[in-house]
Amino acid sequence: MDMIDYPDGEQFSPGHVACAGCAEALSLRVILNTIGPDAIGVVPPSCTAVICGGYPLSSVSIPVQHTTLENAAASASGIKRSLNAMGKPDTTVVCLAGDGGTYDIGLQALSSAAERNEDILYVCFDNEGYMNTGGQKSSSTPLNAITGSTPAGKLSRKKNLVEILAAHRIPYIATCSPAHLSDMSAKIKKAESIRGTKVIIVIIPCLPGWGVADDAAVKTARMAVDSGVFPLYEVEDGVDYTMTINTRNQAVNAYLKQQKRFRHLSDADISDIQADVDWGWEYLLDRAGK
Amino acid sequence: MDRQPSPLWTHATTKLRNTGTWRSAMPEYRTSLSPCLGACPVNGRIAEWIGLLKSGDVKGAWLTLVDNNPFPAIAGRICHHPCEAVCNRQQMDGAVSICSLERHVGDIAMSEGWSLPEPEAVGKKSVAIVGGGPAGLSAAYQLRRLGIKVTLFEQHQQLGGLLRHGIPSYRLDKNIVDCEIGRIIDMGVEVELCAEVGDHHALQKLHDEFDAVYLATGASRPKALPVLDYSKSWVIDSAEFLTVTNAGEPCRLGQNLVVIGGGSAAMDVARTARRLGRSVKLISLEPEHLLPAQKAEVDEAIEEGVEFVTGAEMQSISKDGDSLILECMRIKFNPGEERGRFTIDPVPGSEFQLRADAIISSIGQDADISRWQSLLDNDGTVVNTDNLWQTSTKGIFAGGDVASMDRFVTQAVGMGKQAAAEIGRYLGQLPSGETGANTSQTGFSDINTHYFPPAAPNQQANLEVEDRLQNFNEVQLPLAEDKALAEASRCFSCGSCIYCDNCYLYCPDMAITKLQRGYEVISDYCKGCGLCVAECPTGSVVMLEDRQG
Ligand SMILES: Cc1cc2nc3c(=O)[nH]c(=O)nc-3n(C[C@H](O)[C@H](O)[C@H](O)COP(=O)(O)OP(=O)(O)OC[C@H]3O[C@@H](n4cnc5c(N)ncnc54)[C@H](O)[C@@H]3O)c2cc1C
Ligand SMILES: Cc1ncc(C[n+]2csc(CCOP(=O)(O)OP(=O)(O)O)c2C)c(N)n1
Ligand code: SF4
Ligand code: SF4
Ligand code: SF4
Ligand SMILES: [Mg+2]
Repeated sequence: MDMIDYPDGEQFSPGHVACAGCAEALSLRVILNTIGPDAIGVVPPSCTAVICGGYPLSSVSIPVQHTTLENAAASASGIKRSLNAMGKPDTTVVCLAGDGGTYDIGLQALSSAAERNEDILYVCFDNEGYMNTGGQKSSSTPLNAITGSTPAGKLSRKKNLVEILAAHRIPYIATCSPAHLSDMSAKIKKAESIRGTKVIIVIIPCLPGWGVADDAAVKTARMAVDSGVFPLYEVEDGVDYTMTINTRNQAVNAYLKQQKRFRHLSDADISDIQADVDWGWEYLLDRAGK
Repeated sequence: MDRQPSPLWTHATTKLRNTGTWRSAMPEYRTSLSPCLGACPVNGRIAEWIGLLKSGDVKGAWLTLVDNNPFPAIAGRICHHPCEAVCNRQQMDGAVSICSLERHVGDIAMSEGWSLPEPEAVGKKSVAIVGGGPAGLSAAYQLRRLGIKVTLFEQHQQLGGLLRHGIPSYRLDKNIVDCEIGRIIDMGVEVELCAEVGDHHALQKLHDEFDAVYLATGASRPKALPVLDYSKSWVIDSAEFLTVTNAGEPCRLGQNLVVIGGGSAAMDVARTARRLGRSVKLISLEPEHLLPAQKAEVDEAIEEGVEFVTGAEMQSISKDGDSLILECMRIKFNPGEERGRFTIDPVPGSEFQLRADAIISSIGQDADISRWQSLLDNDGTVVNTDNLWQTSTKGIFAGGDVASMDRFVTQAVGMGKQAAAEIGRYLGQLPSGETGANTSQTGFSDINTHYFPPAAPNQQANLEVEDRLQNFNEVQLPLAEDKALAEASRCFSCGSCIYCDNCYLYCPDMAITKLQRGYEVISDYCKGCGLCVAECPTGSVVMLEDRQG
């Protein structure tokens, strides 16, 4: 059995108010400890904002700016430029944002920062919905998933943010999962070693939002990866695709079945999703030249 | 930039907040029993020693093994391994080859020349052990560890019992028997050889001279078939045949032999005879699939050219010159409810004949209970004992084949160990009363199999059939080093922490701290999510309803 390998430290404190069993808190622990103390965080409204803050207490050891939902990437760009001007180019500026703040409301700011190739690290905790406000759909919510604002299931497919970002030709894009902590840490490290705009998307099975058990976030994330629903891969300079794991070992069925938001799916719906995932998987393998 | 306390900045960490009040259940670390341990006749801590082997600590693995059983190299060859039948990994892709791994560790210990840990100095208490088979030797070893003076009385010239005189060398090389017994003697056990304790008077004398006595004389009286005249030169019992052949003495029987019986001993007789160049037919009442011998033994006997005549009974014998004619009949075998309570119905018109030069009877052994009659009660089959191996005479304990129908080597070793503990308590060398035994068991569903990728079992190979019949070399070949390590890593370490840190690192609330060895849950922060339990590969953390106020 491979041991989990990352430098665990004191960058993230207990006593935060994430839900019991939250994979976002777990991922923050890995990411903040990998980045270390020489960093400034930028956090738009989201679960992360709740987990980090709660004035006057903070669970994170680095300074964090709580910004607006539209402009995490713009705030980070400004902070990074100020640090450069102050002669502190090595300080990491990291956005910690949700999918609503990234795929939807903050996309314009992110696109502009990417277009300018600002030297920032942007982490998107993708829980596939507006979750801290009660679970509404975002453009990252997958087809057919039930949310507070799509009670019969979402009618459109999940937006492919990696491809949008790849089109900006930024140096580094990667996907991560809280069931693969060593890999998450390694990708954060790699991103930190690169100048320019780096975006890392972490799949976060939201316990109340997706309807999974308190102890099942990691298992659910693992199934997302193992079924190919959420493949782990990297894209360098917008064109070089590398699969982190290039095998799948299960159908999508089990992954879908254990989430309440998909419980209404018919067998036909599930085979449509399977076909879509199969197609996406082959497409990725093809892109990765594998 | 200085962080001045200002209304804009947070000024303390969330460590001040007690999220422990959220939970209704809290994880608890516990070592629980693996199913293999539950099934092991010596209660060997299998998950633990395989874990040590996995981590490269072979000596630690061996020391853990010999805590319960001083014969890992022997058991690793001939144990009936009930542990493998219940191994959790069976439900994934095949049981762990525990027995082969035990042999692997036992063989390394022999080639490295490791000795058993130094026992406590001998004190005032003394125990006499009668019988130097696995039961007697196991008891001697455990009693000596307790600082008790042990004297072992054995009727033969050499120790070992059926390990030496019963089980043939091609299954258990006698150098191994010598080595593993030698280590026990080296701990300072006194041995009296050629010292038969003949009857209840002699036993009473030991009872008077020693503080306690352990009787482990085995089952040495062959059961007899009524149709056979055992005084004839062409009839021999399996025990005698195996004693002679195991001692390397010549076999005087003719070329064509018939073995009667379907158990392990019958297989040993038949296969030994094949190695001596004889043609062998084996008659059994049972049909092949109901033979009491283990399947592997039957398969190997067939490979070696033993001809099976199953579901048949020999009814009479006549002579035709030097040759014997066995009158036989097909039978219908009804196994019955309990083992041994079978009935048979002859199939009319199914008579047939077999020709042979000699017959070897191999239908089982009885314990010699009559010689202890006035001192020790019996049930007509074995010496009576209570569940702590105490006989009807206080201070005399018994175990192994003389006191039980669980007739396997490791059963005898386990019984010897249990009796030694009880004798230790009887003599005040061990605290009385059972220690609060942990009975929770780790099931397959407690294992997170994600951490154990599929891997087919690594099994021992056998010597090629052509190479077996020329000699008595061991048939089972050892597992190669790399195979052994691969096999060890298949073990789920059920209920036994492997210090992988998963529980610690998967906690979203930093609610687990590492101790020198092990972990502790921080009650102030644990929200009771159960992620640590779900991601523990080995089932060593469990959620318990919270007892907080
Ligand atoms: C042919 C054969 C093959 C077997 N194969 C296997 C196998 O593969 N695996 C397995 O698990 N089990 C096997 N068994 C069963 C196993 O050998 C026995 O269950 C086990 O040896 C019992 O141990 P014990 O110490 O009770 O008796 P024994 O091994 O019979 O030892 C008893 C000892 O006491 C001595 N003794 C007896 N009477 C006296 C006396 N009056 N005074 C002094 N000494 C005395 C004997 O000489 C002997 O040394 C086999 C048995 C046979 C017959
Ligand atoms: C412009 C704007 N619209 C709406 C809100 C209210 N709001 C705060 S957080 C949030 C949801 C954010 O969703 P996401 O970014 O996915 O983060 P999550 O809560 O899922 O972690 C919304 C809608 C806001 N703060 N600003
Ligand atoms: S996996 Fe290991 S610990 Fe579990 S039952 Fe099998 S041998 Fe025993
Ligand atoms: S993972 Fe942490 S918070 Fe969850 S039950 Fe375990 S110790 Fe408690
Ligand atoms: S997760 Fe690993 S370290 Fe924690 S209890 Fe289980 S085996 Fe031990
Ligand atoms: Mg979200």
